[in-house]
Amino acid sequence: MSRFARPHWVEKMSSGMAKPLIGEISAALDTLAATGVAGAIDLSGLPLTATDRAELEVALGSGEVEAKVTAAGTSEIRETGFAGVWWVRHFDAGGRVLAEILEIAFVPQLLGAQGDDIDAAARRLRTELARTPERETGRETVHAD
Amino acid sequence: MQIDETTPNAARSAASGDDRTLGALLAARGVSRRAFLKYSSYLASLLALPASMAPAMAASLAKAQRQSVIWLSFQECTGCTESLTRSLSPTLDDLIFDFISLDYHHTLQAASGHAAEEARMQAMEAHKGKYIVAVDGSVPVKDGGIYSTIAGMSNLDILEETTKDAFAVVAIGSCAAFGGLPLADPNPTGAVPVTELVTDKPVINIPGCPPIPEAMAAVLAHVLTFGILPELDSLGRPKSFYGESVHDRCYRRPFYDRGEFAESFDDEGAKKGWCLYKLGCKGPATSNACATVKWNGGTSFPIEAGHPCLGCSEPGFWDMGGFYRALSVPTGDVARIAAVAAGAGVVAGAAAGALHRATKSAARGKHHTVTVEELEEK
Repeated sequence: MSRFARPHWVEKMSSGMAKPLIGEISAALDTLAATGVAGAIDLSGLPLTATDRAELEVALGSGEVEAKVTAAGTSEIRETGFAGVWWVRHFDAGGRVLAEILEIAFVPQLLGAQGDDIDAAARRLRTELARTPERETGRETVHAD
Repeated sequence: MQIDETTPNAARSAASGDDRTLGALLAARGVSRRAFLKYSSYLASLLALPASMAPAMAASLAKAQRQSVIWLSFQECTGCTESLTRSLSPTLDDLIFDFISLDYHHTLQAASGHAAEEARMQAMEAHKGKYIVAVDGSVPVKDGGIYSTIAGMSNLDILEETTKDAFAVVAIGSCAAFGGLPLADPNPTGAVPVTELVTDKPVINIPGCPPIPEAMAAVLAHVLTFGILPELDSLGRPKSFYGESVHDRCYRRPFYDRGEFAESFDDEGAKKGWCLYKLGCKGPATSNACATVKWNGGTSFPIEAGHPCLGCSEPGFWDMGGFYRALSVPTGDVARIAAVAAGAGVVAGAAAGALHRATKSAARGKHHTVTVEELEEK
C-alpha cells in the first residue's frame, strides 16, 4: 500500500522504477557483504504504482523469515529471497502503512532487542530474583505449619 | 517553589529536579526503545531523511529531555489545535505529546486566569533560552494592538515578552505564518504575520488552514533529535513538507496530463474523478504535503473529496481572486514565459504555479483568468 494513491489505470502502469531500485539494493547488498555496513531504502517516499510494487515483490521474492513486532502499533518484517534484504512495514492502529522500508542488513534493526531495553530487563530480573527467596520462605512456613 | 496542579510540566520538572531523559521517562511508562526506533523510522520518512538515520535518531531522542513548548493563540479559530490534537493515530504519532512539555496553551490547559499566566512565566524562567514558542493566529497591530488581548495584554506585548528568551518560534497555520483570514482585505485589525514582528529569533512557518499535524509534530521532533531547525524554503517552511506542489503529488495529476478535466461539480468528469483545475484548483501554485500525508490519520484531503485545492498554505490565499476561478497567471512579461513552459502540458501547471508564486503580490491587482486550452494554445 502506498501513500500515493492514483487512478486504477495508473496503478496498472509500470513506471520502470523497480529496476533502478533493484540496482540500488544490489549495491547496498555488496556493501553489506564487503564491509558489514547496513543500508536502508525508504519506499514510502517513492511514488511507486501498484504494478511497480508488484514487480519489485516478484523480483525480490520471499525468504525464510516473517516476523510481527508490536511496539507503538504493529510492524511486519519479511525476509526477501535475497539474504540480507528485508521488507519492513510499519502500520498504525488502523492498518495504514506509516513507513515502508527495505533494510539491507544482517538483522533488521527493529527485530533485535535494544541495548537500553536489555539493561532495563536485567534490572527487572535482578529485582524479581531478590524477591523470590522471601516468597519461597513464606510458602515453606505454610508447609511447615 | 510550591508545586500544585497548576504548575506547568517544565516548571514542575525543574522544581523537582526531574531531569530524566525521554528514554527514562517513557521507559517508566512501558514505552520500549523499539517504539523509539519505529517512531524514528516514521519521522525520517516524513522529513525525507535517509532511512538509515533512524537508529541514530532514536538514540538521540532517547537521550533528549522533554522540549518545553509555550503555545500562544492570537487571532485564530483553534482549527490548528484541532488538527494537531485530533488527527494523530493513537499509537505512533501521539508519541510527540510525550516528547514535549506543553506548558501553556489556552485551549488545552486546565489552569485559567492568573494561574495560567503564571504558568507561562514559570516555563519561560525554567527553560530560558531553550523553550519553543508556537504561535497560531495573526497579530493585530492597528490602534496599538487593542483588537485582541489576553489577561489585559495585547497579543503584540505577549508575543514580545514570550519570544524574548525563546530558542525558536514556530508560526503554526496560515494566520500566524502569513496573516491568513484576519489579514484579508480590508484587514480591519491591521493583522500581520509573526515573521514581521519576530526578527531576532529563527521563525519556522508551518502554514495551512489547518496545517498538516505531522508537519507540526515532525518539526518539533527534528529540533529534539538534532538540536537544530529543519531546512526551510524561501517562505520559511520546512522543505520536507512544502518542497513540492500539491499538483505534483496529486493522485488526479495523470488526468491533468491527459487533458481530462471536470467542467462542473456534477458533470461526468467530476463523477469520474478527473482533474479539478478548471474548477479553480490551486494545486499547481500551492506547496504542501496534503496530497500524500493527508488529514485525519491519512484518510483524505480536499481534492480526494472532490473539491479543488484552495491554496491555503500560500501567502494571501484569501485574496487570490476567487476559490472557484481557474488558476490565473499575471499579465505582462511573465505570461510569455508561461506560454513557453506551457508547450509541454506536463509542466504547464508547475510553471504557472512557480510564476504565480513569484509574482503574486504585484500581480494581484491585474489578474486575468487563463483556461487550460489557452495555456496549451500559446
